[in-house]
Amino acid sequence: MVNALDIHDLAKRYPTGVEALRGVSLEIEPGELFGLLGPNGAGKSTLIHCTTGLAQPTGGTIQVFGHDAIDDYGPARQAVGLASQEVNLDWFLTVEETLDYHAGYFGMPRRERRERTKELLETFSLTEKRDERTRTLSGGMKRRLILARALMHRPRLLILDEPTAGVDIELRLELWHYMQRINQEGTTILLTTHYLEEAEQLCDRIAFIDEGRIVGEGTSAELAAKYGVANLEDAYLALVGRKELSRSHVEVTPA
Amino acid sequence: MSAAQIRFATLWRREVNRFMKIKKQTIGAPLLETFLYISVFGAALGSRVGQLHGIDYVVFVIPGLIMMSFSINSFANNSSSILQQKFQGAIQDQLSSPASPLELLLAFSLGGFIRGLIVASLTFIVASLLVDLPVDHILVLIPSLFLVGFFFSQLGVLTGVRAEQFDDVAFAQTFVLQPLIFLGGVFYSATLLPEPFQTLTHFNPLFYMINLVRYGFVGFSEVSVALSLLALTAATAALFFVNLRLFSKGYRLRA
Repeated sequence: MVNALDIHDLAKRYPTGVEALRGVSLEIEPGELFGLLGPNGAGKSTLIHCTTGLAQPTGGTIQVFGHDAIDDYGPARQAVGLASQEVNLDWFLTVEETLDYHAGYFGMPRRERRERTKELLETFSLTEKRDERTRTLSGGMKRRLILARALMHRPRLLILDEPTAGVDIELRLELWHYMQRINQEGTTILLTTHYLEEAEQLCDRIAFIDEGRIVGEGTSAELAAKYGVANLEDAYLALVGRKELSRSHVEVTPA
Repeated sequence: MSAAQIRFATLWRREVNRFMKIKKQTIGAPLLETFLYISVFGAALGSRVGQLHGIDYVVFVIPGLIMMSFSINSFANNSSSILQQKFQGAIQDQLSSPASPLELLLAFSLGGFIRGLIVASLTFIVASLLVDLPVDHILVLIPSLFLVGFFFSQLGVLTGVRAEQFDDVAFAQTFVLQPLIFLGGVFYSATLLPEPFQTLTHFNPLFYMINLVRYGFVGFSEVSVALSLLALTAATAALFFVNLRLFSKGYRLRA
């Protein structure tokens, strides 16, 4: 069976000389909800940008459902939906136009675009805001719109780059619920997050990335076992060399 | 429509939609500016100047104004649109789509071209209502205007791609483009200038463009029409291929 995402020995060196990725290899099977964890600057976003054509790898290969992301980028990008970490909405467009144009960029016919737009506006509680320009939306609504946009062209692989960063608890739970639902419907998901409980609760498998390398991969329990700790949080702290922050080590001093 | 046709139509529709949403600024203001030029140089100064090379001064000036409005608007639209989208990050939506470098370049170019064409056409209509403006060589005029529009669309794209801040675009327009246009003979004949300025004018590419358009309207040119058309075609093609190479390499668009 062809993997949803097959990354082999991926390298990215920026013109400044920074080596963001140093031989990353990763396989994600169709239907998986895969988590990618790592500290800031570990290479998560670069890996995502290389996969979606926003950055150009300097070595290695990326295949999306068997299509090379560089040489056969058309079908590879068609299969991917990206919800960026940054709020990268077009200020000039309304909510409805944002969704409609995105689907148009992916070649979706007008009638299908209309139906899909209506469906996603309802799903993400944005129907009332459909004619408003994106810059007038609240932070939470912008997050919802970014996710809806990524889903417009019905991608087989959805890449979510810290989708719940900075959102309130209610919206976070709402987004978790939606991620689980579309994953159950067959969409493969690659999720990057800083929230360990998010990865633990949602992801089938998790990889740790640090300094441009994959340093651990498996289920939450497997990673904990690899680092000889009790849970994913402690495994992560072991990875970043901050074991002293583990809750099991923290002594509460009575007032 | 095929998926590729839908994609391309959406890409350029987005560009046209952007400037139409701010049409007071993108269409109204340049039109008013040109109208003021016609009023000042035609009604106020024209009666004093009389004729240049046997042509009423206002009629001598108008072809240059039409060319100027086409060029500045094509340039300004594309340079601003690309830089704004880079600045907002919104360009990631187009860059991560299956659109090819050629599709992206043509769509960005067309946005400015259409805006320039609208302003130039409205200028022509207004000028025709105010003065008796002949069209002596339509077979020279149409390809000349087309080439001028496309050349400056390409130049706008190049500037927008290279620019890292809004100052870069403003610099190119205010300190490079406008002096070249004003010193290229929109408002005067180069033969009126003393040496060495008369000779120096012949090193200004805008001088040839203005003369081509003027020849199309009033049948007068200070340079070889055939040679100017050939040079303009070659320059436009060269600029297009430079841009296509930049888009293919992802220069300052993809990390």
